[in-house]
Amino acid sequence: MIEFYPQIKAVHVAAVIASGSLFAARGLLMLVNSRWTHHAVLRYASYAIDTVLLTAALMLTSLIRQYPGTHGWLTTKVVFLAVYIVLGTFALKRARTRWGRGLCFAGALSVYLFIVSVARAHSGFGIFLRLGG
Amino acid sequence: MSTTSRLWIGLGLLLASTFAVLLWVGRGIYQQAPPLPDRVVTTEGKVLFTRADLETGRQVWQSIGGQQLGSVWGHGALIAPDWSADWIHREALALLDRWSLRETGKPYAELDEAAQAALAVRLRREVRSNTYAADTGSLTVSPDRAAAIETVVAHHVSLFGDDPAMSKLRETYAMREGSVDTAGHRRQLAAFFFWTAWAATAQRPDSEVSYTSNWPYDPLVGNTPTSDAFLWTVFSVLFMLAGIALLAWHYAAWHGKEPPLTPPAQDPLASLTITPSMRATAKYFWLVIALFLTQILLGAVTAHYQVEREFYGFALSDVLPYSLSRSWHTELAVLWIATAWLGTGLYIAPAVSGHEPRFQRLGVNLLWGCLIIIVAGAFAGQWLAVMQQLGLAHNFWFGHQGWEYVDLGRFWQIFLFIGLVLWLVLMGRALWPALRRRDDLASIVGLLFLSTVCIAGFYAAGLMWGEHSHLSVVEYWRWWVVHLWVEGFFEVFAVAVVSFLFVRLGLVRARTATENVLFATIVFMAGGVLGTFHHLYFAGTTTAVIALGASFSALEVVPLALIGLEAHETWSHGRATPWMQRYRWPILFFLAVSFWNLVGAGLFGFLINTPLALYYMQGLNLTPLHGHTALFGVYGMLGLGLMLVCLRGLRAEQDWATGWLRGSFWLLNIGLSLMALLTLLPLGVLQLSAALEQGYWHARSAEFMSQPIVHLLVWMRVPGDTLFAVGALLFAAFVARLWLRRGGGSAAKAGEEA
Repeated sequence: MIEFYPQIKAVHVAAVIASGSLFAARGLLMLVNSRWTHHAVLRYASYAIDTVLLTAALMLTSLIRQYPGTHGWLTTKVVFLAVYIVLGTFALKRARTRWGRGLCFAGALSVYLFIVSVARAHSGFGIFLRLGG
Repeated sequence: MSTTSRLWIGLGLLLASTFAVLLWVGRGIYQQAPPLPDRVVTTEGKVLFTRADLETGRQVWQSIGGQQLGSVWGHGALIAPDWSADWIHREALALLDRWSLRETGKPYAELDEAAQAALAVRLRREVRSNTYAADTGSLTVSPDRAAAIETVVAHHVSLFGDDPAMSKLRETYAMREGSVDTAGHRRQLAAFFFWTAWAATAQRPDSEVSYTSNWPYDPLVGNTPTSDAFLWTVFSVLFMLAGIALLAWHYAAWHGKEPPLTPPAQDPLASLTITPSMRATAKYFWLVIALFLTQILLGAVTAHYQVEREFYGFALSDVLPYSLSRSWHTELAVLWIATAWLGTGLYIAPAVSGHEPRFQRLGVNLLWGCLIIIVAGAFAGQWLAVMQQLGLAHNFWFGHQGWEYVDLGRFWQIFLFIGLVLWLVLMGRALWPALRRRDDLASIVGLLFLSTVCIAGFYAAGLMWGEHSHLSVVEYWRWWVVHLWVEGFFEVFAVAVVSFLFVRLGLVRARTATENVLFATIVFMAGGVLGTFHHLYFAGTTTAVIALGASFSALEVVPLALIGLEAHETWSHGRATPWMQRYRWPILFFLAVSFWNLVGAGLFGFLINTPLALYYMQGLNLTPLHGHTALFGVYGMLGLGLMLVCLRGLRAEQDWATGWLRGSFWLLNIGLSLMALLTLLPLGVLQLSAALEQGYWHARSAEFMSQPIVHLLVWMRVPGDTLFAVGALLFAAFVARLWLRRGGGSAAKAGEEA
């Protein structure tokens, strides 16, 4: 199975990029009050991409035998993933004011970028590791 | 004589004749089962195993989960080898190597083709000759074969212990370290596997076919399909085509000739009085949800053990090994579906008669309590058994029987039987006034009651074997439960309940529904009763089993081929009147039942149904392909649909969150489809190809199952399983919301249900 590691990682990274891009696009549509924000096609595309992303993530953890709860950088990723989902939900749906939605959207994107930096650094500090020198 | 009377007589004659044949052939299975020798000895008089070893070995096998870890004669779990097939091939190679090294100084694999062929002929003569002497009870083997047997025994003693050298293989087989407690028990377990392998290759007296009709396929030892398997495969397809043609003619000639019924202006069930006992059934549906979600979780764990022993970093297999997670996963499937149906029956019965018997609610609550105790008690015993904490003396009664789908200890089986009799009594008391009325509905109510009698009574088939009954005899009765009980009488019950509902809704005439239900029952019982034998082709049974099993089980596909007609009728009922929107979701679940009946039961079922197909496919991933799509697709969906009908009565309309139901419905269906198409079907086809090319043993071997492509296909379950699980969670949330949401129409009564 380890033979497929590069391909699975590529699928995972591609799904991360697609998922983030789609979220960013929907967030921008939300900011301009477009009715496309919650269009069925975009919602179902989001479910499909996230399912692929999750599958590839689970495969990778098993392949490299590193798991959330035992390896700090993966624990950080999962914790901030939960934060990202909550902020994302408020950004697209739950926040009552446009200002609140915008704030959550900016927060969600920041968290998303931080998770990416954690993944690239294989460290729970992510981008801060580099900033700290 | 009325059409209804004629149909009742026809059904009576059909059941009497098919059960007579079922019992008569069963008698043959008792008489011609592979013999259990008193001792296995060498020609030099050395005793390898005694009968006590073989019998204790089987108990050991049962105590670690039996058919829930690997399989024997093809029946059981998919991970870990088929122990019979694996033994045959290991022993054959050990014997060939022994001869080859002694006579040429080279291992068998290094010999040229001619030399290999010569030794293979000698091997076939050695293992296919039946050297069991009935008069002395001795099974005699040559010293060379005895040495080969000892080689394989050593392998099993090491594998089922905690030898570090075998740790990797144990992980591939999803076995826990130290699966069997003592070295003595490990040797006895190996003795039992030897006997199953011996019976699968030794020819029956005066025959050239082994006791298992040459199953498993292994050309090295001369195990190839029999001519009977080919013959009855061809004829069964012919019978099926003839059956479809006959039924299509019947539909064309008789169906839909009546003018459509004008539905009532308002929903007749809206004014239904919900009695205290009906209200008390709510807790059955909560239990269904809890068991369903647990089953899914255990399914995810079970599937994960195919790729690694740990569960994402947790050493879960130390406390929940594969054989246990799979046992509970399969048992819970039957238990939650049965609970949904029992609850539906108890909800429907007073509604049918309009009569609430005294203490009915107490009985409903008591039965629910019994179900909880049975599940908790039986599972606790199984955990102790698999962890080797219970000991063999109590395993049969309180531990793990090891028979797939009927794994409960005998004590818990009897308890469940008593629970089912209690259910029958509760159903009978409530239905009795309706049975005595002899109005238009009497026949449907009669059939409903008959099916409850059969559901309660036929579970007793699971009590027909004892602790030491012959393996073939246990299999015979086990399939009475799994096939006849689950696939037969639950089906009659379901058809009767659904028809009754449509009659009560005023969408179908009572007389028409009665005739249709009786006719449908005759059609599927015509194939269903003797179709039981298609599970027993290779279980140490006779040729009659192959002939009858193939012919009649092919007839089971006949009504499924035309199920589109039934689906269209159900769909039409859903659009008959505006108020049927209230039943949109139960109707859609019933339509899903029709779809999966065609795909899961009909197509994927027939894929593995004929003797020739099953000869190669038994125990490969094509079996759970049929299992998942038929058991959940048909019976699970039906259970959820019936539950929704009951919930429609139990909870007020304003409580229904149809968006959640929509999501649940589609996610369950899409998830199940992805599970079938991304993993089970392609993996099954890969295994089939391996079995055809090298032998059945290869398709189940560690070498095959460790391939990257196999792991990748197993991982491909994640998308489908995730969607399926989310669908189930949405369904659970929907049900929870019916009770938890404030301000709902009948939410104030919530306290009464408990």
